[in-house]
Amino acid sequence: MKENAKILIGDDSILARQQLKDVIALYLDSPVFIEAANGKEAVSKYEEEKPDLTFLDIVMPVRDGILATLEITKKDKDAKIIIVSSIGTQKQLTAAVQAGAIDFVQKPVKDELIQQLLVKYLGGE
Amino acid sequence: MYAQFFGSYLLSKNAVTPKQLTEAISHLSDVHIKLGTLAMHMGYMTAEEVNEVCFLQTREDKHFGQIAIERNYLFEDQLNELLNTQSPDYLLLGQNLVDMGALTNNQLEELLLGYQQENELKYGTESNEIPDETMQLVNKFFEQTGRPIPKNMLIYMNLLFNDLVRFIGFDFTPLTPVFVTSYDTNYCITQRITGVLPLLTAIDMEPDTAIAFAGRYAKMDFNEFNEYVKASLEDFINLHNGLFSVNMSNTYSKEAELDPPGHTEEKSLKLSDDAFIVPIIYPFGTIYFIVSSLPGEEDKKEA
Repeated sequence: MKENAKILIGDDSILARQQLKDVIALYLDSPVFIEAANGKEAVSKYEEEKPDLTFLDIVMPVRDGILATLEITKKDKDAKIIIVSSIGTQKQLTAAVQAGAIDFVQKPVKDELIQQLLVKYLGGE
Repeated sequence: MYAQFFGSYLLSKNAVTPKQLTEAISHLSDVHIKLGTLAMHMGYMTAEEVNEVCFLQTREDKHFGQIAIERNYLFEDQLNELLNTQSPDYLLLGQNLVDMGALTNNQLEELLLGYQQENELKYGTESNEIPDETMQLVNKFFEQTGRPIPKNMLIYMNLLFNDLVRFIGFDFTPLTPVFVTSYDTNYCITQRITGVLPLLTAIDMEPDTAIAFAGRYAKMDFNEFNEYVKASLEDFINLHNGLFSVNMSNTYSKEAELDPPGHTEEKSLKLSDDAFIVPIIYPFGTIYFIVSSLPGEEDKKEA
């Protein structure tokens, strides 16, 4: 898989961000992590850093992950955004896809699923 | 998920102390069920017969089953059945308490009978019926307060007990729920659920308990109260409420929305008149789970 891939993680929980970074670091060669603690911050960090892959939580203060996805994909149609949420309901899933997210992960996050997503969206085999 | 409620039953009958109970629960995974406990539970042997066989075992070099058959306390097909059954975890809890000396076999026999009758538990039901049975347990758990709660709330609480087993550990005992209209906080995280079932939910505990709780949730060692500890409590309640939302959506096609969870500075939480607190004892401390209609939105909850 791609080396030094830039990964943006938007989640208001420092623990959730750490856990996701730990999992990703198992499978990627020296990834570069960018973190955001709310949806608004995620949008501005996205514009500054143009990450290769973005993980966004839905329930966040200031601006939620769905709205952030919408804002990011409006400006960058090729943005690769994966929603990671504890509320994987049909409605949220539909909202995420309509906002332009490419995938949806139900929390608690399973390591193998993250691995599959990294292979799928960052290439390799 | 029966041991937790059997523990709660034992406390309500003053049969054991909380200390004895948490000790017995914390050793649940180290021990296996004994044939004698199982035989007593199935009604094949009395406590006296089990005591006698146990005594004889110390003098004769024979298995429990062998002696029981010789004495005509068990038939061979009963023994085979016992050897092939999986025992419910509350039985193991009872056995631990006997081994610790907190209960005698005779006391356990009586308490098991009382618990099963009270909860109409039948032994050996198919595993796919377990969710209904645990719902029934949760229902009885609230009925003992004299204030049964609506079905949505039962689903919510049933899922909470499951999530505690899943993410924190099975070694807890829920105490009788208390209905209150305000709550004095220790370290308290709240999360509002809006939409179909508007609720104020909260988890509260002493900071030291929070450190241990977070350690289990995050599978990390924490020595002090830091931002990861806070995040662990927030993540747990957010995950639980999220899974509840998924559950409601899948089963009833009803959607709930969540506000971000957060620490409340309020010394006293104002609650609605249907609010309740469930104290949950873990070996590392007691956590308090609080559920209330959103103040001011009680009228909408049936909508």
